[in-house]
Amino acid sequence: MALGADRYASRGDTALFIACLALSLVAMSLPDRTREGIATALRDTVLLPLLELQDQSEQLRTSRARFAAVLAERDSASLAAAFLPELRAENDRLRALLGLEQRLAGGFVPADVLHQASPADPLTLLVSVGLKSGITPLEPVVAPGGLVGIVRVVGSATSEVVTWAHPEFRASAMAADGSVFGIVAPYATDGPKVWLLELRGVPYRQAVANGTVIVTSGLGGVLPRGIPIGTIIGEARQTEWERVYLVLPAVHPAAASHVLILKNGAGAGRAGGGADDMRGAFGVSLSSPAGGEAPPNP
Amino acid sequence: MRRTDKYRFWIVLLLLVALHFSIRSRLGSARVAPDFLLLALLMYSIRSPTGISALAGFLVGLAGDALTPATFGAGMLAHTLVAYFASWAKAVFFAENLIVNGCLFLGGTWVRNLIVALVSGRLKGGMLGWELLFWSPLQGLTTAVAGVIVLVLFRDWLAVRRTDV
Repeated sequence: MALGADRYASRGDTALFIACLALSLVAMSLPDRTREGIATALRDTVLLPLLELQDQSEQLRTSRARFAAVLAERDSASLAAAFLPELRAENDRLRALLGLEQRLAGGFVPADVLHQASPADPLTLLVSVGLKSGITPLEPVVAPGGLVGIVRVVGSATSEVVTWAHPEFRASAMAADGSVFGIVAPYATDGPKVWLLELRGVPYRQAVANGTVIVTSGLGGVLPRGIPIGTIIGEARQTEWERVYLVLPAVHPAAASHVLILKNGAGAGRAGGGADDMRGAFGVSLSSPAGGEAPPNP
Repeated sequence: MRRTDKYRFWIVLLLLVALHFSIRSRLGSARVAPDFLLLALLMYSIRSPTGISALAGFLVGLAGDALTPATFGAGMLAHTLVAYFASWAKAVFFAENLIVNGCLFLGGTWVRNLIVALVSGRLKGGMLGWELLFWSPLQGLTTAVAGVIVLVLFRDWLAVRRTDV
């Protein structure tokens, strides 16, 4: 290929370069809401065909594995269906006995995670559903293992999910057996520790054994009760009145290729607790390793 | 040069964009898989005037930042700089050679990741070191290999003078 002398930057080229640099700096200084607005608008317009292509590719990539999973689920469903009428009748009887109204069936929307290459931002995910699928902000995002995050920004066909590793993430949590309550937050804002969570606000005299499963408590109404968050792996620190425990997350955001977005209806009515929470759906045992009173402070 | 050659070059660029959004996720971790979008940008930049290259870099960065809004702006800045200097350096220093092109793809990827990591401020200490000394060179290498394969496969289509694009 011939390279001509006209390749050197002209005045117009330099001006264009400086303008692009200036626009980049302006973009970096924009408030979060404006950034998200621009990003959502682009995802909903010019980038939409490319994101749909990526979504199709993701579906194709995992179609074989999902086919096997669907077959297994079908077999399980066939087995369960044999007992369904009896269970439903029993459920109706119990509801009638308790005087409860028939609750609306909650739903969920499956979505593909559209992994993006950004070494500096592993803390948010882009998923392949948006307003068209009825997604709204603050809806919980789960994987088969447990909680992945919460929907933050919704576009027409995509949504941005804040994972549990995001510095702003907080969730009201409890031990699976309901013996301990606290707030779960990321353990650190950067470095390898960002991939751990911590359970804060546990009263000083209340010990939590290693291996205890931590689930959402439903307090606040954003996250339904009973979604697994992680497992206690040790005590991080203690203050005069509280203990802070390290939690090994149930789901790593990078491992999630498909997620379920729980519709608001799925959480409604469960926040109050009782047997109608989501612990059963995730197969969480209600018993926990021995915990209880902490030893006295030396 | 035939008039259709110009369109062939654009077809290759579109192919790279399509590869980025289709098969890239099957090529391993996003931190290592070749960045076909950056590859398309570099191939365009080394055949275009510096100003137009900077604008193309800005637009590619804008598209990338729209998909990862947490680092909004960092991608635009990084791609603008990389595209501009790739275009300038190719005109001033580099000869048309397969290995030289491969090195340009490797270096471009590494510098892009360096700028994004530094400007976004989200990676510090050991994480930054790992990113710059391990993951970025690895991604640069895979991108360079992919670029060389594309150049070899489409050598006739890509033999377009800069002023013809």
